[in-house]
Amino acid sequence: MEFPTDPNLIVGMDSMDDAGVYKITDDIAIIQTVDFFTPIVDDPYWFGQIAVANALSDVYAMGGVPKTAMNIVCFPINQMDISILRKIIQGGLDKMKEADVVLVGGHSVEDKELKYGLSVTGFIHPDRILTKKNLKVGDRLILTKPIGTGIINTAIKGGLASKEVIKFVTHLMATLNRDAAQVIEGFPVHACTDITGFGLIGHVAEMVVDSDFGISLWSEKIPIIPEAFDYAAMGLVPAGAYKNREFRKCMVDISPSVKQTVLDILYDPQTSGGLLICVERESAVALVNELKKKGIDDAAVIAEVLSEPNEKIVVS
Amino acid sequence: MKEIDARGLACPAPVLQTKAAIEEANPNVIKVIVDNEASKQNVCRFLKSRNYETSVQEEGSDFHVTGKREAGFAPEVSTHEKSTTGGKKIMVMLATDRMGFGDDELGLKLMISYIKTLKEMGPELWRLVFVNNGVKLTIKGSEVLPVLKGYEKDGLHIMVCGTCLTHFDLLDKKQVGETTNMLDIVTAMQLADKVINI
Repeated sequence: MEFPTDPNLIVGMDSMDDAGVYKITDDIAIIQTVDFFTPIVDDPYWFGQIAVANALSDVYAMGGVPKTAMNIVCFPINQMDISILRKIIQGGLDKMKEADVVLVGGHSVEDKELKYGLSVTGFIHPDRILTKKNLKVGDRLILTKPIGTGIINTAIKGGLASKEVIKFVTHLMATLNRDAAQVIEGFPVHACTDITGFGLIGHVAEMVVDSDFGISLWSEKIPIIPEAFDYAAMGLVPAGAYKNREFRKCMVDISPSVKQTVLDILYDPQTSGGLLICVERESAVALVNELKKKGIDDAAVIAEVLSEPNEKIVVS
Repeated sequence: MKEIDARGLACPAPVLQTKAAIEEANPNVIKVIVDNEASKQNVCRFLKSRNYETSVQEEGSDFHVTGKREAGFAPEVSTHEKSTTGGKKIMVMLATDRMGFGDDELGLKLMISYIKTLKEMGPELWRLVFVNNGVKLTIKGSEVLPVLKGYEKDGLHIMVCGTCLTHFDLLDKKQVGETTNMLDIVTAMQLADKVINI
């Protein structure tokens, strides 16, 4: 497909990135993204919070600051009580307030299935955009939230998850990536993205595809929600994880010591996952320490950029 | 043989149906028909986690997953363990949440210390099995829960007696380990090189 071009379009359709960026002046560009989905937790208020944290995440992942948002609502008005929608919107609004984002409007349609999300606009400096490219050999990758939410959500659907783990993942998914985004401003960060539907490996793959380097992923260092191991071994792996694996397995070399359950979790689609930050090797430990100081306790160095094999992910 | 038709169902429904069938009848042979790749793999995974040996036959666009289990025969367990530990396999069975008789307070302290120290056995520690009052160590509020979770994360297989959890009405409070049955416990005892009873 051919897309309209514009000299001020800095990040557009052709680059597979988290959000689009359009330059207004030499100092300011707008950053835009949209995301909405069906409920992943039963509590409508928390679903609203998670949907907003998830939608804003793309802006943070590129180094931007979200400013305005519009609600997107699909609601089965004839089958569901309107009070549910109110709770969702309230959850979303509270999260926007926390993020200092103003709601400027929205649009709703009747639909068989409930969906909620946002269209978000933010500001970013045209010279300080963080994309999925520009990684350098030797750089380290830092992940800021534990993974495994897709598997846990499947266990929730099956009625097999404990109350404690439901509460834990709900809060995890509702946590903004803002604090992490603010911390990285002071560090020599080369690239950044957020972990969502393609799973950790899928998003790492986007960093190495069409590049002249590879990435070594250290599975034992990756923060993982402990219950995800149990549920993966029980076969509570979402269909999306299998699709992610089919799509990316040709790019992945796996050491025989890596267990199947760990691999399932590496391909597990995430909702409102953490940031994956590519930073100069010398600053990696300091950045993790700074993230932990801000309460991002799970932050960990999980990978290294290698000169070879090209366009491959080596999981050890 | 138990047969389940889970065609037309999305994850996790086929796994839940298989789980319910096993918990109800504990069959030695079970067949599950599914119609998509994800369900096929998930049902295989679930059956393996319950010590069934699995095979898959493609019939048109459907998959027929068969799980077989024989008393005393658990190929998944034995082949896997040989490759990872190499040395002796020690199984520790805890039938109580107190160590020794006499003073209960002291008994609990000793048990906590015992579980924390168990790691000194190194990779030879192969199975940790909780039965009777022992299952209370695996539930929410147990002082050794973080230690046990750590062991599990490091790859130790922790088995918790399902009948015992049900008896104490603690089934939904268990926080660590895999809920297990007597057949699995007997099989583990047979495969172990040494069984330690506490």
